Amino acid sequence: MLEQKYYLYTNDQHGFEYSILIPYDDSVEELTHILIIKYSLPIYIEKDLTAHLRAFIDDRTRDYYKELSDDIIKKRKDQEINIDGITKEWEKVMREEIVEFGEKRCASDEELFATAYHKLVHSPALETMLQLEHMYSKTVRQKTEEKNTLIKNLSDSQTEEMNKAVDRLEQDMTELKINELVARHYETHSLLQGELSSELDTLKEAQRREYREWIMQMLEQNEADSSLPTPSSPFIPNADRDFQSSGSESIHQINSPLMEESFTIHLGSQLKQMHNIRILSANVMDMCTIQDNERFSQPTPQLLQTALGLYSNDLSGLVLMTDNKIGSRLTHDFQEVCQRTTEFHFSHVEDQLEKISNVAQQYFKNPQIGSPRNSNSELLQTGDFYMTKHSNLAQVHVIFHMVTDDTLRGSDINSRHPVVLGLRHILKTACSNDITSLTIPLLLQYEMTEEMTINWCEKRAELVFKCVKGFMIEMASWGGSELKNLQFMLPDDISQAVFTSMTEMLPRIFKVCNPKILK
Amino acid sequence: MTVGMTVDLLRNSQLKFGAITFFAKQHKGDTCGSNGLPLTPNSIIIIGRAQFLKTINSPFLCEFLDVIRGKHERTIVVSQYCGTPLANLVEKHTFSHLQIKKIAYQILQGLSLLHSLKIVHRCLSNENILLQDNDNIKLFNYGLYYMTDNGALVPFPVLDVLYTAPEVYLNGPNSCYPDPKVDIWSSGICLAELALNKSLWSSLNLGQRIRKILSLLQVNSSIFEKIAREHNCYETYLNLPQDLKEIIELCLNIYPSKRPTCNELLSNSYFNDFKLENDERDRKPWRSFDIFTIKELYHWWQLTGGDVYQELKKQGLIRSSPPILSLPSLVLIEGSLLGQERNPATLYDPRIVQMPLDMLYQRFAHISLPAFYPLIHCKSEIISNADPPPYDATGLPLVIKEKDPEYQFHRIILFRRLLHGYPFTKDLIIEEAQKDIPPLLRGEIWAALLNVNSLYKMDYLRLDKYSHTTTDRQIEVDIPRCHQYNELLSSTEGHKKLKRILKAWVYKNAQYVYWQGLDSLTAPFLYLNFNDEAKAFACLSNFVPKFLHKFFLKDNAVIIEEYLWKFSQLIAFHDPELANHLHEINFYPQLFAIPWFLTLFSHVFPLYKILHLWDKLLLCDSSFPLHIGLSILTQLRDKLLTSGFNECILLFSDLPEVDIEKCVLSSMQTYTSTPKSITNREYENELFHQKNELDITGVKIEDLKKELCPRISPNDVIDFVRHRPEKALFIDIRNPTLFLRCSLKDSINIPFSSVSFSEKLLGNLGPHCNLVKSKGDKVVVVIGNSDTDLERFPKFLLQCNVSRVCVLHGGFNVLIPVTPTVLQSGMPT
Repeated sequence: MLEQKYYLYTNDQHGFEYSILIPYDDSVEELTHILIIKYSLPIYIEKDLTAHLRAFIDDRTRDYYKELSDDIIKKRKDQEINIDGITKEWEKVMREEIVEFGEKRCASDEELFATAYHKLVHSPALETMLQLEHMYSKTVRQKTEEKNTLIKNLSDSQTEEMNKAVDRLEQDMTELKINELVARHYETHSLLQGELSSELDTLKEAQRREYREWIMQMLEQNEADSSLPTPSSPFIPNADRDFQSSGSESIHQINSPLMEESFTIHLGSQLKQMHNIRILSANVMDMCTIQDNERFSQPTPQLLQTALGLYSNDLSGLVLMTDNKIGSRLTHDFQEVCQRTTEFHFSHVEDQLEKISNVAQQYFKNPQIGSPRNSNSELLQTGDFYMTKHSNLAQVHVIFHMVTDDTLRGSDINSRHPVVLGLRHILKTACSNDITSLTIPLLLQYEMTEEMTINWCEKRAELVFKCVKGFMIEMASWGGSELKNLQFMLPDDISQAVFTSMTEMLPRIFKVCNPKILK
Repeated sequence: MTVGMTVDLLRNSQLKFGAITFFAKQHKGDTCGSNGLPLTPNSIIIIGRAQFLKTINSPFLCEFLDVIRGKHERTIVVSQYCGTPLANLVEKHTFSHLQIKKIAYQILQGLSLLHSLKIVHRCLSNENILLQDNDNIKLFNYGLYYMTDNGALVPFPVLDVLYTAPEVYLNGPNSCYPDPKVDIWSSGICLAELALNKSLWSSLNLGQRIRKILSLLQVNSSIFEKIAREHNCYETYLNLPQDLKEIIELCLNIYPSKRPTCNELLSNSYFNDFKLENDERDRKPWRSFDIFTIKELYHWWQLTGGDVYQELKKQGLIRSSPPILSLPSLVLIEGSLLGQERNPATLYDPRIVQMPLDMLYQRFAHISLPAFYPLIHCKSEIISNADPPPYDATGLPLVIKEKDPEYQFHRIILFRRLLHGYPFTKDLIIEEAQKDIPPLLRGEIWAALLNVNSLYKMDYLRLDKYSHTTTDRQIEVDIPRCHQYNELLSSTEGHKKLKRILKAWVYKNAQYVYWQGLDSLTAPFLYLNFNDEAKAFACLSNFVPKFLHKFFLKDNAVIIEEYLWKFSQLIAFHDPELANHLHEINFYPQLFAIPWFLTLFSHVFPLYKILHLWDKLLLCDSSFPLHIGLSILTQLRDKLLTSGFNECILLFSDLPEVDIEKCVLSSMQTYTSTPKSITNREYENELFHQKNELDITGVKIEDLKKELCPRISPNDVIDFVRHRPEKALFIDIRNPTLFLRCSLKDSINIPFSSVSFSEKLLGNLGPHCNLVKSKGDKVVVVIGNSDTDLERFPKFLLQCNVSRVCVLHGGFNVLIPVTPTVLQSGMPT
């Protein structure tokens, strides 16, 4: 910040002094009147005084800049400034900030594919694409099932063999032999497991490559003659094998929450901003898992919306709870869900987690950045969160993995708890990255535990409602995209009574819109 | 009078505009301001600062039109853009010495104006100097450095590498102060390019260019000569006129203090040719009038579907990569974002995108020439019949009319003329404003409707907005909570201006105190006159006495009490059922309506609604707010009638959405259908309500609060009798003897003593009850005298849900002296 400087203005004619801050930004005419009032000067000198003051201010401003600017030139003349250093500094700023001097870069593969996919998904090709993805996923699922059966068979036969061996322990078996057997079993088991997994990975990799090539090819064709190529692939099982049996009755049951209630609320006292809020109780993994069984040859309809939104400016996010180690076993279930089908767009979830872990370590170990963390610890802290992105989950694109700890089980957490603060960061991140639908655990956990009494739940829900409301009001001034849909999720085994008490609490905290009644 | 001529008026080569865009700096982490509130986003600060640029008007500067804020701190600046950049002409076109002299003169004229306004161009270059068809020049993009607070609000440096003065480089990229001398250097380089007809150092890369400029610091001889030699133009250099060389040499002095100022350069004898011309222009005493300017054109363009954002997108200046590709990977509790790369789409691209105007031309092609010159005073029928029929938009909803380009064209053309003639055209302005007010000119029209006089600037200037007072703290607390969803009002500049206006008001109105709510009341005026604080203040100063007389007294209890009681009476007058219900559940206006009236709804509605509401308010008197209040209740009527006290309190704790157009219509309707004296108040401003003995005066608040039904003045009763007897039902409740002796024409007699009030049944009124039942929307005037109970009877009618009941003020006897008489005697026939 530039320092301002006082200069003393003296008016001999009327005998007063007044110090003026230079550069002077306000109106000189007003200053005249302030002085006239202050020193009880006659009003007729208004014009003269203004002119005099203006001349004084202009003059001093010139002096002021003269000092600043000439000073630096003089310094250079005296060789006090290193031209090289300063040139480099300027170059750096300009290369970083101005397109003209920045690195000329082409769109990355990622971006090209994104554009192609986004374009096609919003064209009549959509159906074909989803169908293809569905077929691919079927193949993977079949393969996975086969793998599981094979492994199970092996385990079964091994168990049997082992049982027999143990039975004969008294007879011709020695402990040594048993140990050998165990070792052999283990080896065969892992060999088979490894073999099948790698087979599965190869399949996924092949699918991914093929799919991406197909998309790019289709875009070209689409641009040429707007016709749709039919995909042909060895990875697709016979499509209409069980077409007949596809019943429509159970599609509706899939993924539907056990209890839910929706609200339209508004925030703001004068200009009212509308948001949708839903409270639902369900298993959180239902948001991710693509329900599928052999009977459906059609992809579930939710996938359609997820696909349409993938590269749009309306992303959908979900907050999951985890512990302080990136990719810990707490995320295991989730990782498994991710691996059920091929990820066509982003890195596989393990790779993403590894990358995040690298970023974290680099940051923690680098003392230059001046991170306030204890540099010995590679672990995250409560309230931190990391993000992964996915294209093969049912209803979400982005997962916020929030680090939590056991204090959450207590009943006395307040709005300054790190997890609540983390929630604020999540909302902020969502806001500045166009994530406009967000699901958060209303009780800050997804599983029912024994300390979660009705009282506990109500207290926790009130805290989360109120804090989130505050964050949303704050969000309005962040200048990002606004949160359109907010879902509060409750554990699936929550009682009807608690659920009802939550839905009754919401209108007391948020202003619910009055229904428009058509007359 | 051909179609072609119209479009020619619009298709002026100078009436074109373009846009640039950039991202403002994001605030890092979670920082708060010194007042504990979140920091104002930089893009909003820019919007606030940029408004001032709209006021700059010079033939040598491109007019500044608009600044728009997008998501994630994107800022778009729209300004006039016409002609050819000189950079495109250098080396392709020979400039005569005279031409260069003229260009130099005009650059300096432009800069001189900017510098006098404390604006430094900072990125002056031949790219930003536009040569017009008429050989004049206009400077472009001169506001960037100013609006970004000397570059502090944007991540990129504001400069043009080649034209930037050496001291800027020496100061480093982080230093920013607006020394006007940098512009003089830049003009020197611009002129050198023109004089040598050579693009300077065009083959060098970025680093080399900066070094080259810094190397000029070591030159001990003429810098211009050195430049010429370096570019193999020494020959040309030698042939240049001596005085031109001198001017350039003066500009290219390495010591900023030794570079002359614009005005010093302009007084150089080199420019003598132009001085005469200039003096002549200054001598014109009148304001010239343009039938429309580029500002109006831009407004119409937007209405015809012009969208700057889409245009920038179409022409590739706004590129967006899918957000899912650029997510951060880790966010720490301290707020640090890790793993998010700088999105290359957010880099500064100084390209300018011209806005296509064809849509506008097409849409307006059929407008005939006379439409640009509307006849205002015309007594000749032949002439006015020759005018094209007016564009018909009657019956359309206001919001549609405001979006109709052609309708707005006609309205703006007309209002501009009328405003130009203000104050002599005041009556015409009022008349036209009754129809509607074009949003573009609302600020000026409001000022006219509020009688703001021409000396308003001087008045404001003389007020002390600077010294510390006891209300400062409260003002500072209120301002960051006042209509902050609005970009202008939430900007730093907006806060500053609002504070100054409020302080000025407090200073000027020593008899009043600052009430919370005054900030909301000022907000619409500031929003409409953002660049004219004095006018906003003048509007406020004229608005308060007219609509909120004495509301801001330190002890305003009586005034408010009276006002609210009148509100209750008005509800009873128009909607007895609702009034009875609210009375029954004890839900009084005191509980919800004080902020409504104290801020005239500016605290409960968003700005865009206030504007429409006040458009009408300004044309009415101080009773209009009561009608607005009534119409809000009417909109919520069903809900209120079925709610108890608690629900009602909850409902009004945050006013539900109100359809403002409906609200305006219904309040206008009750306003015009209600006799004026019904809303008569003792504490009205007598300047606006002159009264005589046949009006209502002297009603004490204690008496008023006994009356559930309003009083009506003898004047209004006489008016009914004489002009609209079918609109009223006069019930004389005196005893039959008196009634027979003398009564009001057409009145009926229901003696007070004959009615049993124990049951709320209209039948108790006796033989006349059917007249009352079938009265329709007639006003029921109860006439009594000092012997009759003037509270019980109207209360009874009210409880029987009879609407429009009022009581004659002063009783029967006030009618006796009226001449010509309105009375009769004996049995009515």
